[in-house]
Amino acid sequence: MTRGRRFTLGLAAIATAALTATAVAYPTKSVDYIIPFGPGGESDITARLQQPFFNEKFGQDLVVSYKPGGGGAVGWAELNKHTGDGHTIMGVNLPHIVLQPAQKNVGYTTEDLTVVYWFHFTPDAIVVKADSPYKTLQDLLDDAKKNPGKVTFSGSGKGTANHLAQVRFDKMAGIKTTYVAFAGTGPSNTALLGGQTTAAWGYTTSAAALGDQARILAVAMEERHPKYPDVPTFKELGFDLVSGAYRGIAVPKSTPEDIRKKLSEMIGQINADPEFQKKMLDGGFAMLDVPYEKNAEFMKARSTEFIEAAKEGGILK
Amino acid sequence: MSGLEALLAALTPLNLLLALAGVVAGAAIGAIPGLTATMAVAVLVPFTFGMPPAPALILMGAIYTGAIYGGAYSAILLNTPGTPSAIATTLDGYPMARRGDGDLAMTLACLASVVGGLIGALALLTLAPPLSRVALAFGPVEYFWLAIFGLSLISALSEGSLLKGLAGGAFGLLVSCIGVAEVSADVRLTFGSQTLVGGINVVAALIGMFCIPVLIDLVATPGRHLNVVAEPRGFRLAEAVRVLIQKKFNLIRSSVVGTVVGILPGAGGSVAGIVAYSEARRTARPGEQYGKGEPGGIIASESANNATVGGGFIPTLVLGIPGTPPDAVILGALLVQGLRTGPSLFTDHGDIVYTFIWGLLIATILMLPIGLLLGRYAYKSIITLPKALLVPSVAFMTMIGTYAIRNSVSDVVIMIVLGVIGWVLGRFGFAAAPIVLGLILGPIAEQGFVQAWTIGSAQGDLAGMFFGRPISMAIIAFTIFSLASPILMRRWKLKAEAAHVE
Amino acid sequence: MSNDSGTTPASDAGAAIVAALLVIFGAAAVWDTYSYFDFDSAVFPRTVAAVLILLALGVLVRWLFQRAGYVSVSPAEAAENGGSWPRRIALVIVMLAAALAMPWLGFLITAIISFGVLLVIAMHDPWTPGRIVVYPIVGLAIVVGFYFLFAKLLMVPLPAGRWFV
Repeated sequence: MTRGRRFTLGLAAIATAALTATAVAYPTKSVDYIIPFGPGGESDITARLQQPFFNEKFGQDLVVSYKPGGGGAVGWAELNKHTGDGHTIMGVNLPHIVLQPAQKNVGYTTEDLTVVYWFHFTPDAIVVKADSPYKTLQDLLDDAKKNPGKVTFSGSGKGTANHLAQVRFDKMAGIKTTYVAFAGTGPSNTALLGGQTTAAWGYTTSAAALGDQARILAVAMEERHPKYPDVPTFKELGFDLVSGAYRGIAVPKSTPEDIRKKLSEMIGQINADPEFQKKMLDGGFAMLDVPYEKNAEFMKARSTEFIEAAKEGGILK
Repeated sequence: MSGLEALLAALTPLNLLLALAGVVAGAAIGAIPGLTATMAVAVLVPFTFGMPPAPALILMGAIYTGAIYGGAYSAILLNTPGTPSAIATTLDGYPMARRGDGDLAMTLACLASVVGGLIGALALLTLAPPLSRVALAFGPVEYFWLAIFGLSLISALSEGSLLKGLAGGAFGLLVSCIGVAEVSADVRLTFGSQTLVGGINVVAALIGMFCIPVLIDLVATPGRHLNVVAEPRGFRLAEAVRVLIQKKFNLIRSSVVGTVVGILPGAGGSVAGIVAYSEARRTARPGEQYGKGEPGGIIASESANNATVGGGFIPTLVLGIPGTPPDAVILGALLVQGLRTGPSLFTDHGDIVYTFIWGLLIATILMLPIGLLLGRYAYKSIITLPKALLVPSVAFMTMIGTYAIRNSVSDVVIMIVLGVIGWVLGRFGFAAAPIVLGLILGPIAEQGFVQAWTIGSAQGDLAGMFFGRPISMAIIAFTIFSLASPILMRRWKLKAEAAHVE
Repeated sequence: MSNDSGTTPASDAGAAIVAALLVIFGAAAVWDTYSYFDFDSAVFPRTVAAVLILLALGVLVRWLFQRAGYVSVSPAEAAENGGSWPRRIALVIVMLAAALAMPWLGFLITAIISFGVLLVIAMHDPWTPGRIVVYPIVGLAIVVGFYFLFAKLLMVPLPAGRWFV
């Protein structure tokens, strides 16, 4: 999504919010924000970043609680059991909510989740140690071509955005690399720093967390990330790879239409706040605005993308 | 920077108050089974947003160390680790309490926790950058062998039948596979049940297998829960200090083990306590009866688990990699504060970091008087509460505590079911500790194995991968030694006795 | 297990049954592993299940060859091995029922009711008038105290009864 389009969308969101602000009396008490993962992860951090802005703009508390299990599945399977008055919301993640139900019976289907907003994504990126012999993406490609299978990538699990990126890129570049799944971004970063693997398929956020100890070879975005102006995108280098993990907010199915719209606008308002944007960008996140109205087409496009990539990679049969 | 200024900054009334409050709150939360140190820190995080970074860190650190210490309370008094890091404390703490030495056990736990915490924090203060390399030196293979070493403790724990203990351990390992696999996203061993997709939560299993059997037997008999000697004996502080000095080697070694395990990302207080206990047991002097209420057991476990607090901050602050689960939450809080961790943290924000480390040291020292007082209070309440009230209170507490882990009623049901299974197994000679050991170490062993296998295959050198790395070889040697030494010791003793007879 | 005075005949048949159940569980696990997509996820469970089956068979074999004999049991343990079975079973049933009823009745109500029932089950001493008054009050204080700690202080979303919402 280009910056211009994002700005217009943000403006439209604020305008609509201003117009409809008085129409719905919501929120009337504190809102429960359930994160279907454990504390300390990306979903948690972005929720914490949203917390003070929510409080400031809408006068109610955003109470974060955790419901980890099954890689998010436990939380999502229970979403529709909560009361649908808008005071219970849950974080959602792509590609998880598309791939999980497609792979096996996890207790929910993608359609069960009513998403109101996608507010950021963490773009995939190839990250290497600061002292790695790979200075550019081409170096890595050369090494991979000469030694098929020997270049190892650590990543945050199987069937995740990291894994899908590795699969797609391997196909695009005509190389064969080995993906080693770790239990999350933390262990994946540790393995990279310790030299257990030659590189990592991570996100811009993992590189941000590692600071000077790591370098990004390329990012999977449309344009360069503001925090890393020197890092080329895969597109620039000739590979049409724009992907990452997307995060958004969903509500129980029973939530009425007007509350869904109101919530969508509210999240949009937080997203449009320049201070919020700065904090997110500083952390390595990339902004995104897909409000409620655009959700259906966004999900459709992403689902097709992810399922195709998963099938290619042998993750889905 | 690192010297006087930072120390003085840590001694401001606000910071002292935060350290005090943190330790008290942490100990109270840690004492309740089901509430973990991670949860305690996570609850606090929103409060820290309004604070400047140094006081925020001090508060979180104080709660963290208080919670790890507090886990010993229920471990000693109710045979239930209040936090997973206190598992090894139950092994000797509860027998001590049963026979009437509960007050000594509580005091020992406090002293050992303080010493361990101090050693960990001192390591953080003085040796953080070089020690952080240790975090990186441990790869998947090392974690695998470390898990195997931890499992070898089963041989030491199995008083009755080694076979039964090992079978229990294998059972625990298998149960740890239930749910979504970390390594591959497959759903395993749920046999169609939706409830099991979330897997068996370790804390729920701990509470179920350690506490419920105690409750089941408590409710059946009219006798007292813990033996109490008639005359009140105060803190037995002098006695405890004497014991500590007598077993100083155990104390220091366990604290060092705890610091190192804390540095290893992904291994926290529970692994530290188990490894330290295993070592203490292996090097037991004659007359020390581990498993029946040996003070050395509490010393080993409690000093090790509190040392992980300081140790865990080393990779967290130096590398930006959480050393233990609560550190991941603290990292998140720092990120929101705008503090970037990594080598630049020590240079750009040295004053904040060192103020925090001094604050952690102070909080640990404060834990001594606070811990003794709180421990006494807890001990008194448990022994004065009539059994008719104790049983429902503990039952209620386990249920609310288990629910609070993941906000899940299913966990509570699983906890009770596991409790009944644990009681039945216990009746027939299958102890709970090996099973829980398997449950905790299973994921570490599996992930280490699969990752090492993948990397080794990619490099075309599997044997070298598993057996060629220096640290792994050291761990393997240690494991073999620790398995063989009881047998060797016995043979030695028999030979010595035979020589005597002649 | 300490071996002091007193003996009871040991047949360890219970352990044999447990071992047999473990073998069955191990076999079921192996069967389950054949339905996995990824080979990686089957390696560990299969290996561990195999080890479990071997060890459990070992326990069974040992039982078969060790029929006769007595095991000494300390008097304390003998006392524990006795005890009231009805109370034990009641405890478990009440806890399970409370856990299952919580989502419907709400946390506080379930807690108070189950606490009261458990209080009666666990009471071995006679109910003096003093006790009839004091115990329930203390119990109520404990329940309400923990409720506030968890719900208000720690912000844990305790189940609110679906029948009452």
